[in-house]
Amino acid sequence: MKKGLSMRARHNLEGWSFVLLWAVGFLLFMAIPLARSLIYSFQDLKVSTEGLIPTNVGLKHFRHAFVLDVDFVPNLITTFMSIIVEVPLILIFAIFISMLLNRNFIGRSLFRGIFFLPVIITSGAVLQKLKDNGAETLPIFSQYNLFVKLVEFIPRDILFPMLGILDSLTVVMWDSGVQILIFLAGLQAISVSLYEAAKCDGATPWESFWKITFPMLIPMIFVNVLFSIMNSFTKADNLVMEQIKTVFKASNYGYASALGWIYFVLTFVLIGIVVFIFRRSLGERG
Amino acid sequence: MEGQTHAKKLAARRLESGSLNYVPVIKKKGTTLFFTVFHYVMLISLSFIFIYPMLYLISKSFMLSPDLADSTVQWIPKGFSLENYFFSFGALNYMKSFWNSIMTSLAPAFIQIFSCAIIGYGFARYRFTGKGLLLALVMFTFLVPPQTNVVPLYMFFSDLDWINTYFPFWVPAMFGHGLRGALFVLIFTQFFRGLPGQLEEAARIDGAGPYRTFWTIMLPLARPAMLVVFLFSLVWHWNDIFQPSLYVFMSDKFNLTQQLGVLNGQGEQELAIGTAASASSALVQIPTFANRVMAGALMTILPMLVLYLFTQRYFVESVERAGIAGE
Repeated sequence: MKKGLSMRARHNLEGWSFVLLWAVGFLLFMAIPLARSLIYSFQDLKVSTEGLIPTNVGLKHFRHAFVLDVDFVPNLITTFMSIIVEVPLILIFAIFISMLLNRNFIGRSLFRGIFFLPVIITSGAVLQKLKDNGAETLPIFSQYNLFVKLVEFIPRDILFPMLGILDSLTVVMWDSGVQILIFLAGLQAISVSLYEAAKCDGATPWESFWKITFPMLIPMIFVNVLFSIMNSFTKADNLVMEQIKTVFKASNYGYASALGWIYFVLTFVLIGIVVFIFRRSLGERG
Repeated sequence: MEGQTHAKKLAARRLESGSLNYVPVIKKKGTTLFFTVFHYVMLISLSFIFIYPMLYLISKSFMLSPDLADSTVQWIPKGFSLENYFFSFGALNYMKSFWNSIMTSLAPAFIQIFSCAIIGYGFARYRFTGKGLLLALVMFTFLVPPQTNVVPLYMFFSDLDWINTYFPFWVPAMFGHGLRGALFVLIFTQFFRGLPGQLEEAARIDGAGPYRTFWTIMLPLARPAMLVVFLFSLVWHWNDIFQPSLYVFMSDKFNLTQQLGVLNGQGEQELAIGTAASASSALVQIPTFANRVMAGALMTILPMLVLYLFTQRYFVESVERAGIAGE
């Protein structure tokens, strides 16, 4: 049967035969659910013996989410603020640590193993338990009355979250295991001769970081930003996730779908901004 | 040594010719030492932060209740006891939950290796119509928050009577989806792209069809990528609390992380005292079962820790080699 086909058509068919599995899966587990949850978000679903009975309610759920629900908007703001604050911190830590690791020294693999350890330990339920016992923070900043001293200079609304962020730096660091490895791989791909050439021309290490290392790492920074955003979806302390789960377990399916869609749209706005920022620097490399 | 003497000779020659003086070389030696010390200080202090949760878990899990209240006990408990471990072993229903964890993590990890390898190979080696669009959809799938699809997926699985079974973990994995499946597809795509095309040409000339070429030539070569996908998939599935909490409600189907989630360290005895105390005053009840909970937490991740101990090198090096960062 295949003999009758041209080379081109055959190649095409073979290619599809490998990826068909994924395409079917995409329909079953992504495209159709996505469409269904969009439809649900405009409906009230009543649980009955014959299954679910939908009634169209228009924008009720969306109005409820933004106007009536006292938790949702604060949860949304907290979740997105923590992404916006934590992702740059994760990147800075990860670049710094990967540069520390990117030299030949005694104990390199030991340290590399340690920096990756949190990926194994502090995720999911274990992190939750550590948090319950207050073991996830180094309380240097909340102690010593720093708040009282600084509140005179910095407005309360900025200072309070700021100190909170400083206190939870440990959690941010624990989140950077995979990112460190990705940067390390990126650093090792940079040719040593570039640094040598820069040194011959009189560049200081500081200059060669900003003129060589940083530009060469931009693709990895992009990958890591996307990875960190994706990683934050199912983190144990994602309040939006918690709320959607609660609403869903209360069989309020329409509302849970609406919340899910709001979160989805806002996430893609954020990703769109990230892509826009990186578009130029990534575009230059083609 | 040789390099050093060579550098000295060079410097001496330069000194003679008057083109450069000797100073930079001496200065450089000093700064190198300074940087080495600084480097180690930074590494050690940072790695303390990373190893801190581990130390905390170990230290707390051996403490007895008096040690927890004792302010002179910081890290090292006064007595050594395995009591917390015995308690949590029972409270977690360990053997049963361990088996459930295997079914919800080891099994999908194995499935994902093969499904994602097949799909990744197709993306890496063929130019079929609609490839660009499909790859964009892979990226899209990678970035969609799982929360958005919760309701329809739950209904889909519940229509199939798959709630409280392992199928919601296995079947999406078979299609290259499931937990972070899109990421694994991208890893394989990237890896297969890096392999030389002559291998397949040779196999084709020898008369192997596309599937045989893939199965006997290309898949064995993809071992580094398979290893990285397997390890990450296993660890992420093991620690995931999102999927199990949606699809598994019966407590005898709970895996370790779910059991840990409800573990509060209270035995029956303490529970009775606790309710009596909270009835009179909420302040009397001070929960000091952190030791038992931490023992439970340590036991939950113990299989992953043992795995990490032996495969640490592969974990870390294969990320470098498999070219996750290649995009």
